[in-house]
Amino acid sequence: VFEYGVRYLFIGKSGAILLGFPDTTQDADLFPAKSEANGKALVAALSELKFELTDAESAAIIRGKDFVQLRNGPFDLDLVFAPDGIETFEGPKGKAAPITGGTITVSSTAGFSASQGRSLMRPPRERSRGSPAR
Amino acid sequence: MIRKPTEGERQEWRRDFEAAARRTLEQRMKYAFIKTYKPIMDDAKFRAFDTMEEYRRWCEENLPRWLGYHRV
Repeated sequence: VFEYGVRYLFIGKSGAILLGFPDTTQDADLFPAKSEANGKALVAALSELKFELTDAESAAIIRGKDFVQLRNGPFDLDLVFAPDGIETFEGPKGKAAPITGGTITVSSTAGFSASQGRSLMRPPRERSRGSPAR
Repeated sequence: MIRKPTEGERQEWRRDFEAAARRTLEQRMKYAFIKTYKPIMDDAKFRAFDTMEEYRRWCEENLPRWLGYHRV
């Protein structure tokens, strides 16, 4: 992903976990910048990561449909081009925290939606007893 | 109704956060991302929605409530 110059942020619970929030999740939520060039770079990167995309699916990503759900790769991935409460990519990007560990550097932001925020306010044990991790 | 956490719960949270903070990024990625089959949701390899409203409506009309994707 890094080699392709994709502009993206981890958001939601996956972003919080990368920042050190003690919980689990079942997929990663990415907020990619919405542009044709970034979409093409993202498709190229996903293909290298072994996501199997048809031409129509690639076109949906390049077009930047608001919500794209990928279950055709090595891990579950949601692409959220229009996350709740975030008007532009540049806004949260300025607040994003780069996280480095070993050979990995990712950027994450604590821009949660209202429903995610409520979920995260509950204690970890209570969360794990409630609905399945998302 | 929001319940005020007990002192014991606060201490437990603190321990949880401190332990998580000690983990490396690679450890967080390795142990925090788990996979459990979600009916219907995981039965298609690809879905795309033009709007978030369309996605939310799809969740409510197609997924069982216990999965947690319905609006509150």
